[in-house]
Amino acid sequence: MASLTFDALSKSYGANTVISDFSATVDDKEFLVLLGPSGCGKSTMLRMVAGLTDISSGTLKFGDDVVNALTPKQRNIAFVFQSYALYPHMTVRANIAFPLIMDNFRWWHHLPFWGALMRSRLLKRPDIKAKIERTAEMLELTDYLERRPKALSGGQRQRVAVARSIIREPAIYLFDEPLSNLDAKLRMQMRAEISALHARVQKTFVYVTHDQVEAMTMGTRIIVMNEGVVQQYGTPAEIYSAPANEFVARFIGSPPMNIFAATVRDGLLYVGDVPVLNSAGWAASVVALGLQTVSLGVRAEKIGLDSPSGDLLSIEAHTLVVEHLGAETIVGVKTGPVGSTVDVGVGASRGLHYARIAGEEQFTTNSGCRITFASDAVHLFDPETGKRLEP
Amino acid sequence: MIGRRNLSIGVRSLLALVLVILAGFPVFWMINTAMTPVGDLYSNNQRIIPDFSRTLNIFQVLVSDSPFLRWLGNSALVAGGTTLLSLLLACLAAYALSRYKFVGKGLMTFGFFATQMLPEALLIVPLYSMFMTLGLLNELYGLVLVNTAFAMPVAVFLLKSAMDTVPYEIEESARVDGCNALTILQVMFIPLIAPSLAAAAVITFFDGWNEYLFATTFIHDTANWVASTGLASFIGEFTTPLDMVFSGAIVFTIPAAIFFLLMQRKIVAGLTAGSVKG
Repeated sequence: MASLTFDALSKSYGANTVISDFSATVDDKEFLVLLGPSGCGKSTMLRMVAGLTDISSGTLKFGDDVVNALTPKQRNIAFVFQSYALYPHMTVRANIAFPLIMDNFRWWHHLPFWGALMRSRLLKRPDIKAKIERTAEMLELTDYLERRPKALSGGQRQRVAVARSIIREPAIYLFDEPLSNLDAKLRMQMRAEISALHARVQKTFVYVTHDQVEAMTMGTRIIVMNEGVVQQYGTPAEIYSAPANEFVARFIGSPPMNIFAATVRDGLLYVGDVPVLNSAGWAASVVALGLQTVSLGVRAEKIGLDSPSGDLLSIEAHTLVVEHLGAETIVGVKTGPVGSTVDVGVGASRGLHYARIAGEEQFTTNSGCRITFASDAVHLFDPETGKRLEP
Repeated sequence: MIGRRNLSIGVRSLLALVLVILAGFPVFWMINTAMTPVGDLYSNNQRIIPDFSRTLNIFQVLVSDSPFLRWLGNSALVAGGTTLLSLLLACLAAYALSRYKFVGKGLMTFGFFATQMLPEALLIVPLYSMFMTLGLLNELYGLVLVNTAFAMPVAVFLLKSAMDTVPYEIEESARVDGCNALTILQVMFIPLIAPSLAAAAVITFFDGWNEYLFATTFIHDTANWVASTGLASFIGEFTTPLDMVFSGAIVFTIPAAIFFLLMQRKIVAGLTAGSVKG
């Protein structure tokens, strides 16, 4: 049983607070993903779980045990580093066996010369040898056992790092952006392998990434972090369908969620000077919340660029960017009629909204259109705090 | 283009040849002088090609007329001891300076280098009185200690620079796997910085092997002399058997040259380690 409890965990370096007041409970056997942009404190969080970084305040529990003061080894964890941290002077066999060998070390084995002797003896012990073979077989590394890490490809190195982490059968597996050094194809393959590993070993995984695709595809639970503060904790579906704030809404999803700054005027919502047709109901909801302005969020795939029909909400717009991806077409639009916006340099990407249209649709740039979306596709956020509003 | 390139190779080869001659001539002269009888050294018909027929004879004289082999053994003990002690202490010090944060770290680093700022001759009187009080005079391990004090800072500097290049992740991964600091140093750092360690070994070995000032001041007993003091003792007030001095010099050079050749490849790797990424 290795549930994880973060209780008001904080980390600061002098006056600089990296993580403040982090609380969450992660059940046993969950695949928890810590997701956030670079520098948001997610790696620091993982290092605190591993015991590689001291906890400034708060308590961290594995099951019912407080582990704040325990060494990484005592916590019985495995850690896969972004750079893999394979031992370059050892063979793949010795790399994989190393945690197991250290488990069998007595205090006197740490003495010079004696240690080297013991390591080579333990490497030949039948039970350890069998375990290495079994692990190598599982990760298809049998042919590479006598090679050094520098003679392996990126994917093979990654697998050695994983093999080294699973051989000891730890209580918790920690991964620090393990796929970020791989190319797109290999990353997809390794995603599947790590997910399969989780299903097989049935242990708690904590996985740090800035890649939302990894988070959405692998995690059973996601913690979205920004600037050391937890933004949302939930299942991938919850986070996607009901983002807790504007940051989460824009961080998850590609292209990010479209946010329209809307104002209530004459019983309708206006984006700038452009009215949102059929928005009377939403305008009333915003007023009922005691607001005059609101951030209106709509996912790119919920937006259509066809002519308005029925009770769909719609905004006048013009196309600026068309990206044909084969299975779908991404169209970048700005609100207002053609020629109403500055569309060169930085101005070209500022205020751009995206629609994701299924199939190979023919759109031309710089032509007028209407952004349309259904009422149930709308998310409301407080324009000042960014928090989700429930009308 | 090819012509210019050949010219450049030619010029460089010529320069290299001049350097080899400049460096090699003293060695040649040492061998030539050793092979020439003392009487002939001052005559006008000086030989250019050494007379190798005297080879066996001169080494026989050297070994039978003086305890030179014993002195050579003492030199090996002092140089070997200096190397081992310096590297052991330097590894620990370099690891601490490279990886730990502690109060007085800057001051301590400065302290290591400060020892290199003072000439040895300046310290000889205080060291002599200290060694006398501690009963270290006339002892080979006393020489090991004093040589270590002067050789170690260079080794610390060299090893610390090498350890700085070892990725933190490797150390952290080893900690997760259950290593303590001493095991990390032995199992991870020492194999990874082996080239620098070899370079440090050569530097400290030569410090101990070539050392003369402390050896001649602190060791009075002829039996405890090292080769450098023994060699100098051949120089008499009225006569100097130059052939014996130079044959001794040859014997004195050979072990050091062998040690250097063994380490040479690794030293080059060690001295350039960390200068280029990858």
